[in-house]
Amino acid sequence: MAKFLGIDKVLSVLNIVKENGGLRASLYKMFRMDELKVGTLVGTDKYGNKYYENKRFFYGRNRWIEYAPYYHLDYDGSQVPAEWFGWLHYKTDLPPDQEPFRPKYKWMLDHTENLSGTPGQYMPYSTTRPKIEPWIPTKRC
Amino acid sequence: MLRTTLLKALTGSKLGPKHITVLSRAASDVAKKPEKIEVFIDDQPVLVEPGTTVLQAAALVGVEIPRFCYHERLAVAGNCRMCLVEVEKSPKPVAACAMPVMKGWRIKTNSEMTKKAREGVMEFLLVNHPLDCPICDQGGECDLQDQSMAFGSDRSRFTDIDFSGKRAVEDKDIGPLIKTIMTRCIHCTRCIRFASEIAGVDDLGTTGRGSGMEIGTYVQKFFLSELSGNVIDLCPVGALTSKPYSFTARPWEIRKIDSIDVLDAVGSNIVVSTRTGEVMRIMPRTNEEINEEWLSDKARFAYDGLKRQRLVTPMLKATNGELKPVDWETALLSVAKVMKNAGSSIGAIAGGLADAEALVALKDLLNRLGSENLCTEHTFPMDGSATDLRSSYLLNNKIMGAEEADFALLIGTNPRFEAPLLNSRLRKAYVHKELDVALIGPKVNLTYGYNHLGDDPEVISKIASGSHPIAQKLKSAKKPLIILGADLLQRPDGAAILSQVQKIASLASPAEGWKVFNILHKVASQVAALDVGYTPGVDKIRENNPKVIFLLGADECAIDRSDLPEGCFVVYQGHHGDHGATIADAVLPGAAYTEKQATYVNTEGRAQQTLPAVSPPGNAREDWKIIRALSEILGAPLPYDSLEDIRCRLHQVAPHLTRYGDAESANYFKQAQELAKNIQSDKISGSPIDVKIKELKDFYMTDAISRASPTMAKCVQAVLKQEQSKY
Amino acid sequence: MSGALKLYSLSRSVSGRPSIFLRACGQNRLKSTSKGDYINVNPGEPGMSLNEVTDRAAEKVFFTELVRGFAVTLAHIFKEPATINYPFEKGPLSPRFRGEHALRRYPSGEERCIACKLCEAICPAQAITIEAEERADGSRRTTRYDIDMTKCIYCGFCQEACPVDAIVEGPNFEFSTETHEELLYNKEKLLNNGDKWESEIAANIHADHLYR
Repeated sequence: MAKFLGIDKVLSVLNIVKENGGLRASLYKMFRMDELKVGTLVGTDKYGNKYYENKRFFYGRNRWIEYAPYYHLDYDGSQVPAEWFGWLHYKTDLPPDQEPFRPKYKWMLDHTENLSGTPGQYMPYSTTRPKIEPWIPTKRC
Repeated sequence: MLRTTLLKALTGSKLGPKHITVLSRAASDVAKKPEKIEVFIDDQPVLVEPGTTVLQAAALVGVEIPRFCYHERLAVAGNCRMCLVEVEKSPKPVAACAMPVMKGWRIKTNSEMTKKAREGVMEFLLVNHPLDCPICDQGGECDLQDQSMAFGSDRSRFTDIDFSGKRAVEDKDIGPLIKTIMTRCIHCTRCIRFASEIAGVDDLGTTGRGSGMEIGTYVQKFFLSELSGNVIDLCPVGALTSKPYSFTARPWEIRKIDSIDVLDAVGSNIVVSTRTGEVMRIMPRTNEEINEEWLSDKARFAYDGLKRQRLVTPMLKATNGELKPVDWETALLSVAKVMKNAGSSIGAIAGGLADAEALVALKDLLNRLGSENLCTEHTFPMDGSATDLRSSYLLNNKIMGAEEADFALLIGTNPRFEAPLLNSRLRKAYVHKELDVALIGPKVNLTYGYNHLGDDPEVISKIASGSHPIAQKLKSAKKPLIILGADLLQRPDGAAILSQVQKIASLASPAEGWKVFNILHKVASQVAALDVGYTPGVDKIRENNPKVIFLLGADECAIDRSDLPEGCFVVYQGHHGDHGATIADAVLPGAAYTEKQATYVNTEGRAQQTLPAVSPPGNAREDWKIIRALSEILGAPLPYDSLEDIRCRLHQVAPHLTRYGDAESANYFKQAQELAKNIQSDKISGSPIDVKIKELKDFYMTDAISRASPTMAKCVQAVLKQEQSKY
Repeated sequence: MSGALKLYSLSRSVSGRPSIFLRACGQNRLKSTSKGDYINVNPGEPGMSLNEVTDRAAEKVFFTELVRGFAVTLAHIFKEPATINYPFEKGPLSPRFRGEHALRRYPSGEERCIACKLCEAICPAQAITIEAEERADGSRRTTRYDIDMTKCIYCGFCQEACPVDAIVEGPNFEFSTETHEELLYNKEKLLNNGDKWESEIAANIHADHLYR
């Protein structure tokens, strides 16, 4: 009966709002992410990004990232660190801490987002010595 | 490619050296009339002389048999076995490089048996060859790579890698020029044969046998020779590679430009390899008449001097006495101003690396300004025939002629270090044709035995008067050779020595067309400078006290500030900041020999041209263009605007200067000798005859380029270190 | 389709006397014409019965077509969208995806590249420039490894040519820049990329290891 009247839909909307932490939070999330979804929290990376999964959605939409609150509206696709990249792109079903072939070396660097247009952007420079060493006249005494 | 062929067509250069040898061989065949024997290479009949090897016979019909150890200029070793071919009715394949053909042999270079033999040999070679082609400098120009692609098996049976692995050999330290990775060695022994046969340094050899065989120097020792770099070219694999070039470029990414070496007076033909506007390496180019396929170490490795101590911008002396960089306009204007004020009181000194174009341009400019004070740094006697007759300042008998000689008298020269490639010819004649060598001068190691006549100049007079036993030998010799070092003539009694030596030369009764009297110069520019009419020696400058002196690459300290009058303005034009630039008031940056199309005449009188491989660094320009620009500002513009125009001018001055590749022979030997008689022979002083370059350590740094080269400095250090060593 | 094309070309050819042709069409619609096998695919002429005329009038008056269209749009608001919400959801990617380049290191932290220059040689766009020399310890290393990412065509030949798996095209595709010069990568940048993405690059190579 409830289903027939579409009340289950209303209930699930209410549930989504509740899961997302109330009306205020839900509205904020709608504003920030254009969408309100519930899913199981698969993990959190060290930058505070949260990764969710909900198999109810179709393939391509069933995994998503909620960028760390710190970014506010400056979220960007390049903020996904390498460790979670594969999971988010459906290359692997295992979160990084459970995957056996993900190396962890001392020399690995922290992830940085695409810094183009900011003061931290990459600028090319030469990594070689100059080809010609000019003669520098010695001081005459 | 089109450019070179066009150029050849335009300059009318004759047949390549290869044709010449073939022709000369054919001529000698006719003389001997040997009975030729017929053999069949892949069913193609070919008539060959008896004693021809299978490999040579195959080469005659254009069939190339793969080889590693065989080299045309070295003795046959026959140890790589790559050249195995099938001979009909022979149960085993034969080594083509060592087996003389027999009458009626049918040689199959493409049969199943041959292919299988090659595959087998290749497999054995590769068993112990590391698979490090990506980091090997030979990669891309490696005989082993090429031949394993062409003749090797298409699949591997090598499964041993887990068990005993490949053979590994410790690398040897044999000096600052040659890098060794001995694991790659396939024991072709080309390097050993080169060292003992051509370089005359029996330092390399093998120890051990079987898979324990190693190439090395027996004891910890450097392989130091003035020709050592050639083993890099000879090595068919990457066991011996060039240290300065190591890892810097790949053969497929470099541009090769044919050029001429100017660091000695031999004028060796070279190939300059460049990449990204930088000279990566210099390799020899085969020219049978000059350098065969060898190159001296200085010519090969001094190229890194082209990247250091360069003059990249014009400089003027500021009021505080320091040279400050300025732009071309300022520099040329102020130089022109000073030159104009000086009137005809201008002198010029040309250094050892100046090209004929710049020499002519500078001479024309100074002549227009009314000055005749044009000198070269290296002197030559002005008495007798002086520089009017070319025969008295050329290596008349040509470098190739040295091979034919049966007696050589070296006076005041050390050809081993002054002209290593001439010395290798003399050594060849000594080894293969029993050449007798006598030397007047300090006792030096020439890599072959010689009769040392002492360093007393008296000996020269004695020989000239016929009282010395050597005079008899000279008279009886059919092809005698007298090589006089140009250095010796720098002495105050040089003229007297020259006349005495010319007298000695007249004693000999050589075969038709054989020239006895030869001068060996040390610098590349000297012959061209004398040809266009420069005065040798700087005495004239000292006498005339010019107000302005123009140094065209003069870096040998021939003239110093103390020789010049107070307030003399010194203009230095050249490519390196060396002695010349330090005393200069104005510096005009020129181009080095790899950066310009320029004419050089070697000690034989052979005009050759360098081609621009890279562009001059910074604001540097080609030398003759600078002088042309200066003439414009001085109001006496020179009548040439392009290279063709100045070449036309060269042709006017001395036509042979533009006949590239040809050695213009000199004549008037008799007249020169007659003129020489007028010189008082008793002027010869008693001071012993000396040569500047006695040992290997003196050889490496002789000019502005090699003095700036870190590699050459390392070589000198290595020689000094070797002297300390107990071996 | 081909019928319509033929019809069209025919109508062009007989444009001199269109009225005859059009009449012929009207009479024989959806039937083979006598001339050949032409089929008229145009909707037929509207019926002129009272019923049909009233229906058409009602459609026009009440905008029923428009309303039906809006209804479809409205229905999709309540349906699950077929697009992905990009920066939050991302599409599937192959382990073989060829994205931004990176230079890798050995587990010890030593750079892998040995300056063999095979990638430079094979690069069809000539985007790679390498200069090399001997390092102080005698090993063969690059001093310059530049990739012009604006020349690169992302063909992946460089990673195929590399004997030591040093140059790889990593998974990253989010490296767009605001200026051209930021895409002229040098050795430092490429090594940094490798250090940043090693986790994912290693996982990708492992995922593909059976086929290599």
